[in-house]
Amino acid sequence: MTVVAPQMAVARHKRRRGFGREMSAGWFAFFMNVPTLLFLVLVLAWPVIYAGYLSVHRVGLAQLRRGEFPFTGWENYGRVLEDPLFWTALQNTVIFTAVTVSTEVVLAVMIALLINQTGVWTSRLTRLLILLPYAIPPIANGLIWAFMYSFQFGFLNRILFTLGLTQDPVNWAGNPETALFAVTVPYIWRTLPFAIILVHAALQGIPRELYEQAAVDGARAWRRFWHVTLPLLRPVIAVILILRTAFAFAVFEEILAITQGGPGDATWVAAWYSYKITFSPPNNFGMGSASAFILALMIGVMALVYLRAVYRRVTL
Amino acid sequence: MFATSRTARLLLHVANATVILFILLPLVAVFVGSIQSEKALQADTRRLLPLEFTLDNFTVILSKGEQKGRIFEQVTYLPDNIKHFYTAFLNSAIVAVSVTFLTLLFGSLSAYTIAHLRFRWTLFLMQANVVARFVPVIVLMIPLYIVMRSLGQLNTLSGVIIAETGFLLPYAILILAPYFDSIPRELEEAARIDGCTRLRAFVFVILPLSTPALAACGVIMFIISWHELLIPLILNARPDVMTLPVVIASLVGDVHVFFNLMMAICLLALAPTVILVALLQKYIVEGLSAGAVKG
Repeated sequence: MTVVAPQMAVARHKRRRGFGREMSAGWFAFFMNVPTLLFLVLVLAWPVIYAGYLSVHRVGLAQLRRGEFPFTGWENYGRVLEDPLFWTALQNTVIFTAVTVSTEVVLAVMIALLINQTGVWTSRLTRLLILLPYAIPPIANGLIWAFMYSFQFGFLNRILFTLGLTQDPVNWAGNPETALFAVTVPYIWRTLPFAIILVHAALQGIPRELYEQAAVDGARAWRRFWHVTLPLLRPVIAVILILRTAFAFAVFEEILAITQGGPGDATWVAAWYSYKITFSPPNNFGMGSASAFILALMIGVMALVYLRAVYRRVTL
Repeated sequence: MFATSRTARLLLHVANATVILFILLPLVAVFVGSIQSEKALQADTRRLLPLEFTLDNFTVILSKGEQKGRIFEQVTYLPDNIKHFYTAFLNSAIVAVSVTFLTLLFGSLSAYTIAHLRFRWTLFLMQANVVARFVPVIVLMIPLYIVMRSLGQLNTLSGVIIAETGFLLPYAILILAPYFDSIPRELEEAARIDGCTRLRAFVFVILPLSTPALAACGVIMFIISWHELLIPLILNARPDVMTLPVVIASLVGDVHVFFNLMMAICLLALAPTVILVALLQKYIVEGLSAGAVKG
């Protein structure tokens, strides 16, 4: 680069005379980023700030019509934090997230190892199909599983009957004890391909020599996995843990389609809480913003962890 | 890398069969559910496959509720949203294509400068994008609803397109930036020595080389936008501006809609993205891992 520099300086000099001044790198970068900056500010940063503003004001339908939002201080947060339903929703969210994320990490590593077996024809078949769930709209996925889980007409119970595994239908999503776990399965089904693809990409980046060396040293398959593969997968597992935790915290579509929070409050989750408080009567936008803001703060912490852990090389 | 003894191979086949069954199970369910009648589903609640199949569910949706066929003959009520299938499909397509185009356009301008011209503020912009990717839609929706309402922009497709573009732009930049970074600086420098301006070098030298990355990013943007529910659900309530996911969501809790019809409309809604994934799998795989782990 240093070698080319003098020539470039000459070229730039000539061009300036021929075609008029070219803008400096700084201005060029600025103009190239104007649309992105506008969108980031108008559709992301500003709404988040405005949500913070709404969360400390009284905002209901009446206030919306008048266009005046009286300041209430921390009242909305107080009401949210005093609402037992909010704590139920938060607890359900934590359980939902813990179950989906831990299951996904384990399954992703196992299935990625499985589709990495180049000599096995069924593994090649699995690799072809692995991305299919990524193509399914979340809301359609939810409805499909609602059909699978249906107590009376459900597809899962029909399978169990046909195989002779049960005499009585199972109420998968209608039982408060099992409903939360029932909604984890569709979510895992839909989001697992992403995790598998990340692990698989990382597996392909592991040099073969490491395995050959380990084999020469007499390490068996399990030890090779434990001492060679797993340590090298640690960064990608960290990525999956953070990303999937953050997104599972805001799960919405599957809850809407399968249980709508029910039975009772068994599957109320954080995003569902904010949605219902805000967009169903009595439409308390202030409280909805406060609860959504609490959710955003928790996810924001995960984002910062991700930034420090994964994108510390963000200097490129 | 594992021992290739006969038992090991057998175990691998069994494991693969289990995974494939798990992947296909819901797809079999939606297919089987969509090609039978309400009667068949209700008459025998233990039968896996009905005695006869019908395409009436699709006919009634695709004919805007006019050709009711045998299974809907006696039905007096059909949800209006089912009749708006074509409008919803078109709206979804308009939104997804626009969002894909806009995120690719603005995203590539931004990702290129972030990757090739390192200023302190562009690096900060990259970090802002990483954080922005985490913002949950529900937090944005409440203020956006209030603003769109006061601007009279509820029930417009452009409102949805703007909101989704803003929401997805950071992700597009995260996918594209590592790719632009992998293009050698010498190419751009050579073009500039030949008298190209920075913009011309980007448009005529760098962009043509980046088609794989643009394809990867574009197809992911299209899929996410085609799937997006919350943004159009909250901003658009009128039938003529609903997108497909909103129509599907409106059937939830409608006691008059039975699973056969729901499965049929789900199948029609998931078909486009399934075809895309089948055709462009390679690009999606690259884009997904570029957007998550490469800095």
